[in-house]
Amino acid sequence: MQVLNWFFRNKDENVRSRAKDRMRLMLIHDRLELPPDRLASLEEELIAVVSRYFEIDRQTTRFDLQQYERRAALIANFPLLRSKS
Amino acid sequence: MSGRVIVVTSGKGGVGKTTASANIGTALAASGASVALVDMDIGLRNLDILMGLENRVVYNLVDVVEEKCKLRQALVKDKRLPNLCLLPAAQTRDKTAVNAEQMQKLCTELKGLFDFVLVDSPAGIEGGFQNSIAGAEEAVVITTPEMSAVRDADRVIGLLEARKEEIGQYRLVINRIRPQMVKTNDMMSVEDVLEILSVKLLGVVPEDDEIIISTNKGEPVAGTENPRAGLAYRNIARRLRGEEVPFIDLNSFNVTWFDKIVKIFTPVRA
Repeated sequence: MQVLNWFFRNKDENVRSRAKDRMRLMLIHDRLELPPDRLASLEEELIAVVSRYFEIDRQTTRFDLQQYERRAALIANFPLLRSKS
Repeated sequence: MSGRVIVVTSGKGGVGKTTASANIGTALAASGASVALVDMDIGLRNLDILMGLENRVVYNLVDVVEEKCKLRQALVKDKRLPNLCLLPAAQTRDKTAVNAEQMQKLCTELKGLFDFVLVDSPAGIEGGFQNSIAGAEEAVVITTPEMSAVRDADRVIGLLEARKEEIGQYRLVINRIRPQMVKTNDMMSVEDVLEILSVKLLGVVPEDDEIIISTNKGEPVAGTENPRAGLAYRNIARRLRGEEVPFIDLNSFNVTWFDKIVKIFTPVRA
């Protein structure tokens, strides 16, 4: 069975980078003491606010938590289609 | 004389704090400095075993704090290095037997007698840890490249950072790295861990079976010719003394032709 596993092992699976990604996200939440659902509700509110001024492309709107040294930054990207009057 | 008080801590248990304390202390003493090793794991005394001194313990840290004996009476001299001493933890008491103020006083007294005072902190971030950092001016944070250990190390770094005034600097030791597993992308690398924690590196210690053997003998590997973990700890001691020592190339050992063949025939768990 183990031999079979060895042959069918997914070569693309990179446990190391998966651990690193999980780690990074986890520590950002830890350091900010951020509950898991908190960010989602902020994102919703941000979209609502921006939408009052612009029509935005919801498909390509992106939120990203990034780490700078031991600080975190929230990067939001709202592709604007046209302004609302 | 005013020595440096350095706390060795990790958050998570079992990552090698006590082993690191014993080895860094031994390496510092072997290079000529006078060193006191302080076991702060009250109730779970272990540093004496790693040093092979368990039969020589008479008094302990709590006895000193409670003034049942003089500091000098409680210090146990190392078997090999005359300038290395151990202040053992009490085995029959618990973490509440001392407080932060008493620890500060004790550390002040010790740094008057030694070049280096290494405080081996217990696991966790509660009372025992708080007492361990109370008298410290520097910290060595130990982690392994595992997610749980890195997370706990991050928590500890956060707590150390909050005490910037007292603890001037903290550096990281990454323990039990397995170069072969990093190569096959099955384990986080030194660079990965450093990037995640954003902290200065003090040393990298490879996984080494000799550590278990040396614990059983009561002779830290740093005091031997050991070219893997022993060398890594000797380099850490040199860096603590301010020397610039390049980090060892992890690919140069641990991977023998035998390991390679074993690897080829070992199915990898996905």
